[in-house]
Amino acid sequence: MNQHNHSNCFREREKLRAINFAIQETVLYLDAYPCHPEALCYYHALIEEREKLLAGYQKNCGPMTMYGNKSRDSWDWVKGPWPWEPEAN
Amino acid sequence: MWTYEKTLQYPVKIKNPNPKLASLIVSQLGGPDGELAASMRYLNQRYAMPWGEVTGILTDVGTEELAHLEMVAAILYQLTRNVSEEEISKTPFAPYFVDHTTGIYPVAASGVPFDMKYVGIKGDVITDLNEDLAADATIS
Repeated sequence: MNQHNHSNCFREREKLRAINFAIQETVLYLDAYPCHPEALCYYHALIEEREKLLAGYQKNCGPMTMYGNKSRDSWDWVKGPWPWEPEAN
Repeated sequence: MWTYEKTLQYPVKIKNPNPKLASLIVSQLGGPDGELAASMRYLNQRYAMPWGEVTGILTDVGTEELAHLEMVAAILYQLTRNVSEEEISKTPFAPYFVDHTTGIYPVAASGVPFDMKYVGIKGDVITDLNEDLAADATIS
C-alpha cells in the first residue's frame, strides 16, 4: 500500500460510493426491464468506470473486498479504520 | 453467496453522541419495519418466485437492505460512543444498556428483540409481493 493519505482515500471512496449508487439503481431498473438497450449501455459505461476507480483504490488505499489485498507482504484487509468508524467517514 | 465491501453505502459521521436518539433509531435495526426484517423478507422470499425479474429484484434489494443494516448499526455505534454510564443512566437508552452495554443488538424501540414474526413468507408469489407492498409502505 502506497503512502496515500486518509483524506485522499476518503475522496476515492466517495467516488466509488457515487458510482456504486448509480450502478445499484441501474441494476434494479434492469431487473424489472431486462430488454432496455439504453439502460444496458448505461450499465456497461458505469461498470467500466467503476473498475478503473476500484483498481486505483485498492492499489493506493487497501482492499475493498477480501479478493483485493494487493500487497504481497502485508495483510491490509484487517487494517482500520473500519467502515462504521467516524475516522473512515 | 455474498462478498463484503469495506465501505458504508453512505458515510456516517456523528459529531455529538446521543443515547436517547439511539434508543429510538435502534428500531430501524431490529424493529418490525427495520432493515433486518426487510433483508430477511426479501432474501428468503426469492425461492418461490417464478420469474427471473422478480428473483433478481428480491436478490438485489435484499442485499442492499444488508448495506442499510450496516449504516443503521454505524449510526447506533457512533451515537453511543464515549458516553459515560452515568450519562446513559439518565436516558431512555438505559434499559438497553443493562443488557447489551453499547453492543449492537437488533431490537425494537419497545425493547422486543428482533423476531421473524414481523416477516411474512408464504411461498406464494402474490401473497409475498403483497407483504412487500405493505412493508415498503412503511420504511425500507
